[in-house]
Amino acid sequence: MFVLEGIWIALQQVWAHKLKSAFTLIGVIIGITFLIAVITVVEGMNRYVQEDFAGSLFGVNTFTVVRRSRISTGAETQERRREQARNPDLTLHDVQVVRSAVPDAWRLAYSSDRGFDEVSYKDRRRRNIRLIGASEGYEALQGWEVTRGRGLTPLDERRGLKVAVIGAEIEEKLFPGLDPIGKEIRIGSQRFEVVGVWDKQGGLFGNIRDASILLPFSVYRQTFARDPSDVDQISVKMRSLEEMEAAQLAVEGALRADRGLRPGDENSFWIETSSELLDTWDKIVRVLFAAIPGLVSISLVVGGIVIMNIMLLSVAGRVREIGIRKAVGARRRDILIQFLAESSTLSIVGASIGILLGIGIGKGVEAFTPMPASVPPWGIALALTLGVLVGVGSGLYPAYRAAKQDPIVALRSE
Amino acid sequence: MNGEQRMQTNANEVIIETHGLTKLYQMGSETIHALAGVDMQIRRNEYIAIMGPSGSGKSTLMNLIGCLDTPTDGEYILNGTPVQGLDDDELARIRNREIGFVFQTFNLLPRASALHNVELPLIYAGIPAKERQEKARNALATVDLADRTHHKPNELSGGQRQRVAIARALVNDPSILLADEPTGNLDSKTSEEIMKVFEELHASGQTIIMVTHEHDISERAQRVVTLRDGLIESHDAKADGLMAGV
Ligand SMILES: Nc1ncnc2c1ncn2[C@@H]1O[C@H](COP(=O)(O)OP(=O)(O)O)[C@@H](O)[C@H]1O
Ligand SMILES: [Mg+2]
Repeated sequence: MFVLEGIWIALQQVWAHKLKSAFTLIGVIIGITFLIAVITVVEGMNRYVQEDFAGSLFGVNTFTVVRRSRISTGAETQERRREQARNPDLTLHDVQVVRSAVPDAWRLAYSSDRGFDEVSYKDRRRRNIRLIGASEGYEALQGWEVTRGRGLTPLDERRGLKVAVIGAEIEEKLFPGLDPIGKEIRIGSQRFEVVGVWDKQGGLFGNIRDASILLPFSVYRQTFARDPSDVDQISVKMRSLEEMEAAQLAVEGALRADRGLRPGDENSFWIETSSELLDTWDKIVRVLFAAIPGLVSISLVVGGIVIMNIMLLSVAGRVREIGIRKAVGARRRDILIQFLAESSTLSIVGASIGILLGIGIGKGVEAFTPMPASVPPWGIALALTLGVLVGVGSGLYPAYRAAKQDPIVALRSE
Repeated sequence: MNGEQRMQTNANEVIIETHGLTKLYQMGSETIHALAGVDMQIRRNEYIAIMGPSGSGKSTLMNLIGCLDTPTDGEYILNGTPVQGLDDDELARIRNREIGFVFQTFNLLPRASALHNVELPLIYAGIPAKERQEKARNALATVDLADRTHHKPNELSGGQRQRVAIARALVNDPSILLADEPTGNLDSKTSEEIMKVFEELHASGQTIIMVTHEHDISERAQRVVTLRDGLIESHDAKADGLMAGV
């Protein structure tokens, strides 16, 4: 009953002094907002990475041969990194080795890419783009869908045609309200005919693909490559995970044999898979989740101290009330529970506001990025539990002070 | 203590008994004998007025009887149970079940309605909400405040506030009703109303101890105990004949 009493008194006080309460609860609000925002964003990113990102970056059942690892897992030693730096560049010869190692590949494509200053059409320009020189089938392997015009064909490659398939952002910037197909764009000193546009990815990771221009590999190599023999990556897509794993082993073996590596030697190339990316993501998530407790507990401790002070003030201002309650039969524990309920309610109000703000931040992230905001029930349960803990913890001392008041002394106060 | 009193005990149940009840206050080097050894007996359905000059120890005695305070020395037996040596929780229980206290300054919770103020002892008695409300309403009806249940103390007159306080004191059906100058803050007309309430309660069987300064009020009591300097100066049992007959 006096639990309800405490809750009711706390709610009345919060309502009567909204601004003061907001300041009182700011520590708890910040702590819980942060907690929920991080959980929401990380959970959302988690789903995104697992369901969309890894798939769209690497494709499903796809692996990619590169010179050295592009994803730093933080686990490699200095020495390992230096060793990788000595790996030779991939070449078209390596493409042949890979091709003959997996004759049953569903798709195989190779590419090189570089950042480039700008692309222009008449007086319109788009800065900071990426040029990709790729073999036929690259877009399909990446999972990009050419929505207008066509993709690259073996003919473009063989004839060295100056054609380009462009990303959606480039189309929007250069051809507002125009049909880009057949138009000539200028990249550096060269002119290219636009033959296709692929679908827009949008959002946070969209830049990479929406601001890219795809050229036939041979054209790219002659015109833009820094080192004409270079191939940046060779991607292989298989029909199933098992096939992919087998193909990966076959490619590894073939490249080692071709390079004359002996059994004890490390690979002088690197094979990336989406599962490698997911592993890395897992590590990032683990670091994030490891950092939360520290940051959250600091703000909650500060919030708890503020609530404790408010409760001490509240107790000091209500000594007579305590005296009256004791005079009509309240026991120590009744008073204790009342004030604990009061401090917990305050804290839970703060935590609830924090939960709402945190979800709001998550929704904001959802609105501006392709990541879904995902608030797991355990996150809310955790936040409320923390709210109760902070409330009880910060109320303990004030409530104890209230409970041990001598009734007659308390009645005489004021 | 003498044989005659014991006989009366059997005939007319003693609910309060004190022996050498003493309360000392230390003020610097000086010891104040607020109560310097009080012996008294109170029987069921007595109506006792406690009088005496200011500072004679009336409130101190009331607070001890009401278990709000603990004596420095002496014995206090309530309903056959020695009160000294009880712990805080047991004292709280006695205040809750056995005692109804009415203060000069009302001591109502300012932000709570009349009904909630009256419910308070029932809350601490652990009585379920529905029964609680019904009892509290009945108690308010007893003091003619059935139509003021949702008023806050500051929406009530002094006399009404004191009647709320009386309802609160009565609601848990206490063995004894203690009132320390209940009309001290009220004008004479309102005092008259409040005294009527006490008389009605006494008539319906309630045991009452009341501190008062006013002789016309004390005259309605069956017995007047006069304190001076922390000691009982006189027992004026003017209703002896009536009591012997009960
Ligand atoms: N808390 C206290 N500290 C010191 N002295 C007190 C305290 N309470 C009462 N006294 C003293 O005890 C004596 C009796 O007080 P009280 O019982 O209040 O008298 P009354 O109610 O008859 O006016 C007075 O001298 C008073 O000053
Ligand atoms: Mg007094």
